[in-house]
Amino acid sequence: MKHDVIIVGGGHNGLACAAYLARAGKKVLVLERRDRIGGAAFSDEVFPGFRFSVFSYVVSLLRPEIIRELELPRHGLQILPLESTLTPLPNGDRLVQWSDHDQNRAELARHSPRDAEAYDDFGLLLHRMARAVKPLLHTAAPDPASLHPGELVDLLRLGRYFRGLPEKDLHALWKLLTMSAADYLDEWFEGEALKGTKSASGIIGTLLGPRSPGTAYVLLHHYMGELDGVFRAWGFAKGGNGSVSAAIAAAAQAHGAEIRTGAPVSRIVVKGGRATSVILENGDELAASTIVSGADPRRTFLGLVREENLPDEFVAAIKRYKFRGSSAKVNLALGELPRFTCMPERGPHMRGAISISPSVDYLERAYDEAKYGEFSRRPYMDIVMPSMLDPSMAPPGKHVMSIFVQYAPYHLNGGWTDARREEFGDTVVNTLAEYAPNLKGAILHRQVVTPADIERVVGLSEGNIFQGELSLQQMFFLRPAPAWARYRTPIHGLFQCGSGTHPGGGVMGASGRNAAREILG
Amino acid sequence: MSDVVVIGAAPDELVAARLLQQAGHRVTVLQEHAVPDRLEGWAPAQIGRLPSKRPDPWLRTPDGLELFADVKRSAQSLRRLSGHDADRWPQFCERMARLASLLEEVYLQAPPRLIDLRFALRVRRLGRSGMEDLMRVLPMPAAELLGEWFESDILKGALGAFAVRDLQQGPRSAGTAFRLLHAHVGSPRGIFRPGTVDVTPLRAGLTIREAQVARIDVRGGAATGVTLTNGEMLPAALIVAGAHPARVLGQLVEPGWIDPDLLRAARHIRSRGVAARARLELERTPEWPALTLAGTADDVERAYDAVKYGRISERPVIDAVADGAAVDVQLQFVPHTAADTADIQARLVKVLQPHLPPIRSVSVRTPVDLERSYGWPQGQPHHAELSLDQALWMRPLPELSGYRTPVNGLWLCGPAMHPGAGVIGAAGHNCVRAMPRS
Repeated sequence: MKHDVIIVGGGHNGLACAAYLARAGKKVLVLERRDRIGGAAFSDEVFPGFRFSVFSYVVSLLRPEIIRELELPRHGLQILPLESTLTPLPNGDRLVQWSDHDQNRAELARHSPRDAEAYDDFGLLLHRMARAVKPLLHTAAPDPASLHPGELVDLLRLGRYFRGLPEKDLHALWKLLTMSAADYLDEWFEGEALKGTKSASGIIGTLLGPRSPGTAYVLLHHYMGELDGVFRAWGFAKGGNGSVSAAIAAAAQAHGAEIRTGAPVSRIVVKGGRATSVILENGDELAASTIVSGADPRRTFLGLVREENLPDEFVAAIKRYKFRGSSAKVNLALGELPRFTCMPERGPHMRGAISISPSVDYLERAYDEAKYGEFSRRPYMDIVMPSMLDPSMAPPGKHVMSIFVQYAPYHLNGGWTDARREEFGDTVVNTLAEYAPNLKGAILHRQVVTPADIERVVGLSEGNIFQGELSLQQMFFLRPAPAWARYRTPIHGLFQCGSGTHPGGGVMGASGRNAAREILG
Repeated sequence: MSDVVVIGAAPDELVAARLLQQAGHRVTVLQEHAVPDRLEGWAPAQIGRLPSKRPDPWLRTPDGLELFADVKRSAQSLRRLSGHDADRWPQFCERMARLASLLEEVYLQAPPRLIDLRFALRVRRLGRSGMEDLMRVLPMPAAELLGEWFESDILKGALGAFAVRDLQQGPRSAGTAFRLLHAHVGSPRGIFRPGTVDVTPLRAGLTIREAQVARIDVRGGAATGVTLTNGEMLPAALIVAGAHPARVLGQLVEPGWIDPDLLRAARHIRSRGVAARARLELERTPEWPALTLAGTADDVERAYDAVKYGRISERPVIDAVADGAAVDVQLQFVPHTAADTADIQARLVKVLQPHLPPIRSVSVRTPVDLERSYGWPQGQPHHAELSLDQALWMRPLPELSGYRTPVNGLWLCGPAMHPGAGVIGAAGHNCVRAMPRS
């Protein structure tokens, strides 16, 4: 056997897992189906001279210990912070949240002095909650039903950890887990634009609305991002999110891992309950004592592995695991900067995020349409213009705009077709043009990426950007299936390392890192 | 023994009053609002022998779905809609009954703490599949749970309707599976409709006065008595209040005694009523004991969508139970601000008429009316909406979940407390049990 470990899939989690295993001295081979690494964390020159993070678009959740331990800056990772979030309003006004405390407070007070007062306390609470949850991100989630002594120890350790937290914090955490973002924010704020924009971070990547219970927790998930120790700071990777993958790949290679692209795996071979090798689409068979799948649970267990090799209840659990991709991406190449009616000048706000989320009701209505299988006629959008931060993304004087859009349900009534994709693209541009009238004239090229496209190109089932919904019944020790949340699988020697495992979601890398630790034992 | 004043005369307050009277206290019950003679739910054995009346078939839809108290008979009836669902029904009933038995146990004591070793061990005794069900199922959307088990849209719609009864959520909302289970607790296996309980016997042997409370008097951090709106003062060292915590702590207790953070939290307890109730007098007895017009789970969800924006559902969920030549109807969703009974009545009659003998008269009560007559805040019978973030150790607030208030001698016992309305008298029972012996 040439390799100790074969990793199927060269997304950021597969690469992180490879880097950690190689660092520990394993001989690792990563097999990537496409001719480029990165999975959904991938940059491309989509139009001549214009580079985009085609799918994912910001960095906030990437675990700082991964950046540190894998020395990612040395391997070319450079993160440029996003300093503000602009929410244009239909009445021509705006709300800007600045990273500068005083500037932010003044702007909030302009809308509501009460909200300005509450804002700091709110931030402190979420900060504390994120800290309380953080140890959970570092470790495999123990199975509460297990009788295995090792897991019992982990359970007791976890129990002791939580008992050590103030009871008040536990209750606050419970609220976050069970409440809707809208109800949660209603307890703190009154400003519609503020509540709309804050609640938006609770719906990203899910087919849930801001009034759906459970979205308050996703709000926290997005507060967990920490860059350079600053909570809530979102950033943009120089060169696009592909640079994150490239840096992790470089670290893996520096430790001796081999990465092969254009090597689609068709099957994981199981003999006597043990994974022994993988078979590539070209018929080659590669053996290793440990096989790790970075693909999502459905592709891994209902595609790469034959069902008959798995227990029935496990297969049933994987079949009911929910994906329901709901988000799309629109990438625009612009001949000039958009001029937002509410803030037409070329100011620092253009280097931050722009959020089309004027109110909770606006987002909820967008969700109502998606619930019954239509895309939102007036969608939520989260926009960044990477060329403002990193001029190498576009030709001089020109710009790239990355628009994350919800909702675009994977299960669209009638299905996604080229015509529906363009119709959706028009909806996005038309909605945005209401806030920036020069936009339509500025567009040189447009790329629309629907959940169906994400599935087709990257292989994420139903186009779900988190490899499965982050809902309560699919989190912690239930992700992706009860009793199999610790990166192991019912097949000996087969592990999982994708976002479909705990903690999952975002360009975070925690799943890959935790899986490597579990494999190393 | 010292005097006790109980504020409110609903079952929780009456049960608390009786237990305290049995312990030798002189108890005065102050009735501020009317109390319906019959309430939805079930009475645990600890409360007394109060039988639940349940229609059989307990569920009937115009599309020909009928579910009976007898699980086998339900399965037979389901076979007309779907053989698959008929086969799964008995197993579904069994799994739900197992979860319900745990909830039943939890409902008859003060809520467990969030990290509670004894509770954790009790949960582990459920075994792997029971535990997985508990932790997976409770936070699930009812629509998803039902989708895992069944294929008939009619069945999923009707059960989905019971999962959102009196709740401002649709069946696609997380946590509604818990509510489906709540509707099942206390009922025999296979019945997911709460029964109806005649609660009038609970009044027997108690001193009940009609009165309006103006103030709870506090000296040195301890309750000393109650002042009525007519100026009369009733001294008492122990006061048990069934009203909403925001009213008790924010309006009745003299200002200054309650921590502003707690008051703020109490005011944030969500209490939105979402249903109107109606009673229709008919020419004769209808042919069915109960009729549910819910449609599919998506129809119920769409009915919910309207109330998010403060509108009455275009096609509300209507659940009617016959009472001789009359029917009691629950109509959902109606925003808690709705006051226009004519509009609701028109919708109700239009939808129900084809299924009923000639109607003699209709009386509709909106959430506003329900608040006025029964004191249900915003028309919400649970006082505090029974959602996962306001259930168990969170009910109505973690700080108040032990029925005790920061004012010595002042206790809370109403439906806002664990386990909520529907478990008749349980909050009153748990409240008194939580009091120190002296």
